[in-house]
Amino acid sequence: MKNIFPRWANTIPVKIILAFGIVGGTVTAGITYYATPKYTRVGYKPTQPVAYNHSFHAGQLGLDCRYCHHGVDKSSHANIPSANVCMSCHKNIKADSPLLAPIRASYFGEDVNKDGILEEEEDINGDGILNTGLPVPWVRIHKAPDYVYFNHAIHVNRGVSCVECHGRVDQMEVVHHDKPLSMAFCLDCHRNPEKSLRPMNEVTNLAWSIATSKDEDPHLKQFHAGLDIKNKWGVNPPLSCTGCHR
Amino acid sequence: MIKEVTEKKLDNGKRYWKSLDDLSNKPSFKNWVEREFPEGASMLEGVQRRGFMKLMAASFGLAGLGMTGCRRPEHTILPYGKSPEELIPGVPNFYATSMPSAHGFTPLIVESHQGRPTKIEGNPSYIPNGGGTCIYAQASVLDLYDPERSKSSFIVSEEDNKTRDKITSVEVKENLTKWMEEGKVAILADKSSSTARKELADQLKSKGVIWAEYEPIDLSNPEINLGNEVGASGGLRLIPDFGKASRILSLDSDFLGNREAFSLANTRSLMKGRKVLSAKDAKKMNRVYSVESDLTITGGVADHRLRLESSQFIAFTNLLAAEILTLLKNSDQVLIGRLNKRGASLKNHAEWIKECAIDLCSKPKSSAIIPGSHLPTEVHVLCYAINHALGNLGNTIKYQLTEYNSSSLSELVKSTNEGLVDTLIILGGNPVFTANDFDWDEISDKIKNKIHLGSSINETSTICNYHIGQSHYLESWDEGVTWDGTAIVPVQPLLAPLFETISDLELLLTLLGSDENSHDFVQSLHNNRASDNSFEDFLRLGVEKQNPNYFSDSVDLSQLIDDNNILPKLPSFENLEVLLIPDFHSWDGRFANNGWMQECPDPISKLTWDNALLISPVLAKILEKKYPSLGLLPEPTMLNKIGEIAPDAANFDHGKQKAPIVKLAINEDDFIEGPLYVQPGLADFTIVASLGLGRSDVGRVGKGTGYNAYPLLDDKSNRIVQEISIEPTGGFQILANVQEHWSMEGRAIIREGNAEEYISDEAFASHMGAESHSPKIWGKDQEADLKFKSQTTPRGNSSYDHPDHNYEKSETPGLHQWGMAIDLNQCTGCSACVVACQSENNIPIVGKDQVLRGREMHWIRLDRYFSSTQRDGAELPSDVQVSFQGVSCMHCETAPCETVCPVNATVHDEEGLNAMAYNRCVGTRYCANNCPYKVRRFNFFDWNKRQTDELYKGPLGKKNDPLPDMGKNPDVTVRMRGVMEKCTYCVQRIQESKIQVKIKAQRKALLETGKDGADIELKESDIKVPDGTIKTACQQVCPCDSISFGDLSDPDSEVSRLKNNPRDYSVLGYLNTRPRTTFLAKVRNPNHSMPDFASSPHSAREYHDKAHPVHHDEDAHDEHESEGESH
Repeated sequence: MKNIFPRWANTIPVKIILAFGIVGGTVTAGITYYATPKYTRVGYKPTQPVAYNHSFHAGQLGLDCRYCHHGVDKSSHANIPSANVCMSCHKNIKADSPLLAPIRASYFGEDVNKDGILEEEEDINGDGILNTGLPVPWVRIHKAPDYVYFNHAIHVNRGVSCVECHGRVDQMEVVHHDKPLSMAFCLDCHRNPEKSLRPMNEVTNLAWSIATSKDEDPHLKQFHAGLDIKNKWGVNPPLSCTGCHR
Repeated sequence: MIKEVTEKKLDNGKRYWKSLDDLSNKPSFKNWVEREFPEGASMLEGVQRRGFMKLMAASFGLAGLGMTGCRRPEHTILPYGKSPEELIPGVPNFYATSMPSAHGFTPLIVESHQGRPTKIEGNPSYIPNGGGTCIYAQASVLDLYDPERSKSSFIVSEEDNKTRDKITSVEVKENLTKWMEEGKVAILADKSSSTARKELADQLKSKGVIWAEYEPIDLSNPEINLGNEVGASGGLRLIPDFGKASRILSLDSDFLGNREAFSLANTRSLMKGRKVLSAKDAKKMNRVYSVESDLTITGGVADHRLRLESSQFIAFTNLLAAEILTLLKNSDQVLIGRLNKRGASLKNHAEWIKECAIDLCSKPKSSAIIPGSHLPTEVHVLCYAINHALGNLGNTIKYQLTEYNSSSLSELVKSTNEGLVDTLIILGGNPVFTANDFDWDEISDKIKNKIHLGSSINETSTICNYHIGQSHYLESWDEGVTWDGTAIVPVQPLLAPLFETISDLELLLTLLGSDENSHDFVQSLHNNRASDNSFEDFLRLGVEKQNPNYFSDSVDLSQLIDDNNILPKLPSFENLEVLLIPDFHSWDGRFANNGWMQECPDPISKLTWDNALLISPVLAKILEKKYPSLGLLPEPTMLNKIGEIAPDAANFDHGKQKAPIVKLAINEDDFIEGPLYVQPGLADFTIVASLGLGRSDVGRVGKGTGYNAYPLLDDKSNRIVQEISIEPTGGFQILANVQEHWSMEGRAIIREGNAEEYISDEAFASHMGAESHSPKIWGKDQEADLKFKSQTTPRGNSSYDHPDHNYEKSETPGLHQWGMAIDLNQCTGCSACVVACQSENNIPIVGKDQVLRGREMHWIRLDRYFSSTQRDGAELPSDVQVSFQGVSCMHCETAPCETVCPVNATVHDEEGLNAMAYNRCVGTRYCANNCPYKVRRFNFFDWNKRQTDELYKGPLGKKNDPLPDMGKNPDVTVRMRGVMEKCTYCVQRIQESKIQVKIKAQRKALLETGKDGADIELKESDIKVPDGTIKTACQQVCPCDSISFGDLSDPDSEVSRLKNNPRDYSVLGYLNTRPRTTFLAKVRNPNHSMPDFASSPHSAREYHDKAHPVHHDEDAHDEHESEGESH
């Protein structure tokens, strides 16, 4: 038999195993780096049609998140504000700023002279109704897959802050995707909600962290305070499929 | 020896059977039912292996190309310019409206997601319906998103009579005004209970417009004649209130089904009287007698059922009247003699009639006799007199006075011939298709302008030179009355018309030259009425009470009956009769393009996408004898020579039922051709044909479905046709029948008992089924309460611990433990739940071809079983009892599907739901294979994405029109190809309720106490969903509350109470699956004295005969039988 296989053939199995190991490792590393949400999503920072500055409005001016995203505590969606929300201030402030042109176009629509009354020459499609303009096409940054039913209202009302998933938006000039929002990310919090629970009134206060004296470990203190809240409120986040997939 | 006797016993055939083929017990059929899916369901047909490999290689190649473009696509979010009030994206709004109909408006609450109506529910403010909905109302939302509905108006070019030129709604209005000015306008409308339209019609009539109405299946038909006969000032409409009735007799009236108006309220009130939760209730249970020619769902509910040809009801009612008058000690012997004489032909049923009459008379003022609306006036007059004599009027039955003052279609045709019509406006409806007896080409030649207002292009549009697109009722304003006249209900639009369409009110207002829009008109109508409510409140509540007038004068029967009226001939093979019924799928044809209705199986025949000519087994046998040698029906066919049913491979293959086509003819011109279908329970010489399918000008969905039976309907819309000739054409048709699928043979699936049995032994159901003989399922914990059983899943007799469903770190069991109880005694089989589930859960339509392969996707399968004791194994029974059972995922505690899933796509959650994670499913279908209830459905194709006739082209197939996607429920995933799906207990509704309860509790605590953080303390009761908050879609639609859903860990919840009822049992309980859905056994209430009395329901006898065969010797066997059914 030794005539059939030359001597070097003895190393073939080892080589094959090695080759598999190297190729497999490279592929795993590649997929982890190039195809997992942690790397594919985080940092996504599209250019928006209107250069809305969150760090100015939410940070410096101190507007509450819910002033614009008013559905966040009532609905599963945290709505993107409609143009009339912007215009409630910008009718008076920077009313003619060219940066706000898309907002004004969306808000006034057929009302060319902006008097709130529809004149006959303004009625473009002849239906006698003062139609608004086309919506402002805001670019979506955070997106849960279609088979995931994330509900904002229950999180916001049960002491989970915006910052947990969206990061310090009040410090972002242009909003970017800050957390991976993968299933592991969700489950991490659902398994250990005490790390993230805070009083209801502090939910939209993105800068909040638990008050500690010098020698206290903030993580440990948050853990105990969160656990207290969890028990008192009966917070029991679902860990099964039906919690999010319907 | 034992085996031999058992088999012999089985051959005697006393067992459950579910279909003709089931009954025949052929090895091929057995092989077929034992499969996971029907044969062919999992086969790739029409593609060769080599071709398949090529295709796959190509698609892998494409997939490789696609990878390079695997970047995240840019999505935009489009907020409003000015956000409408009361609209928060993601939160549905609910509006009260109603569904217009000729037979009373149905009050509704419609769910809307950002201006898109998605789900229809009943309006609980209208008490008679109690929040239930009929199947047509459920399905009507799909019509709004029908890609083939009229999207604009057009004019047919005068040159080639074909080209359709689009016209705008402004031009439509200009034209209408012009025609009105020219005069000689006639309007032909379908009937409607709209008060708003009536007001406008009156105004138009005063302007000289001819107003005619036509309805092919007019359920108010007998009203005028009855009113005339008994001397009322108008029509008389029978309004039953079964809540007060304890003895009910139906005379060919399907008052629970789709053939009579007010069926929803009837179902609710009748089934309330059959709600039996204790022996006390059983004593008060109502009793239903049904005499009918077709087998209807009303006949299925009935405790006693007599088969009788529809033409024989005059004789029957006369005989019944004679018996009742005799029993009531009426002294007019002459009258009784006359009645007896007219009923003389039915002497063979005399005993049945007599005992029935005695029972009716034994409950004075609380019986009810309900004649079918298609029966002749004489029957209605007699019923009025009998009901009056029994003191039922004002108690169980009211006769409401109705008004009619429109011309008929015949009068309109007469005016046309006289040249009085230049412009004919056909307002809705489809008279060219339904009024077959008129020569429409001739009529249309005499009229200059023919305008059709229709929601789609149909047969009527083809004779018209103008078509105006009609708005759906969810896009229009209107106002109408309910059938019983006790409520005025608004129709308010949920959205502006999607396309350039107008409503009938808008058309009429334009004709009148009014500037008012339809909203203002409906508002002014309301404001002109003396009403306590503002218009806004009227719209919010959706119902406003009004008091109709009733008639209850006594009548002199001896003056009313006419002995000279010729009685219809006795039926025989030479004198066959045809009963024309509205089709289950399309009603009179209007739902023919509605895929949900087409695919929903008919409750009795279980046919989808087709109608058939139903014939009785007796008639089938005669036919078979008559046409054996002609080769018209190839041998062997439905019945072989000895009368045995022997479907050969050619006639029954892979669930494809080959039905011979026959021609039914009145004369040379009026005939129809359709497939024969043998249906037990039919009167011997009645052929049942349904109107509404077989349409020629219809959309893609309705094309090629069924046959058209309208040629048999005469100009008086008489629905009983005698002297029909029948002749096979030699052709065959494949019927998509779902009844054989997933057969659960011969076990105690549906458990039934008589009221008397129930009174003596409330737990009769638990003495049936294999689990009554096996060791206790829960072992030592058998008697533990539901809370313990549902929260801990005790080990029972198993050697192993059951998996703990409490997840990972949580120490406590789920806050709720969901479960469902279905009261089989309340279910009529109406099938509304099937469509409600389809609407709520985005269940796709698969098409006839795929149904034939056993791939229908309905999450609820409404099983229909027949049972009979009258058979000897060789004969097909004629008298059957019908039982229905809705089966969907049972959410077993120890679910067999979960253990076989290789990827954990189906797992339990902590609240006892059997979860199905679509995004995890890889489509092995092991779970469906292992499910003993066969309730899992597999997406063999991208039903939602591709057109049903393009499925086999894979990714090259044409995509569906996106319009129906607007009606999808945004809270439920739209499933893709290759994943399994099944009932979720409407988990989206559960989660939403849980979220809302928690938010409410949290906010209340914050606002009321002013505290925050850990200072707030919420009790478990604060964050628990209160009982009754969550209603599953099937539960919400059910008019008789036969489905209960709730928390098993709460001993006071409705579902817990029902599950603790001794009637409660698990289907296939002996498998130790411990289903969370359990059933309450059915209770029948037969009358001891009736000739067809049986001490146990047929199905129970069959079960006991099969489950406890006597295997000592032949003598003991006989003895056992003579003991009766004492098990």
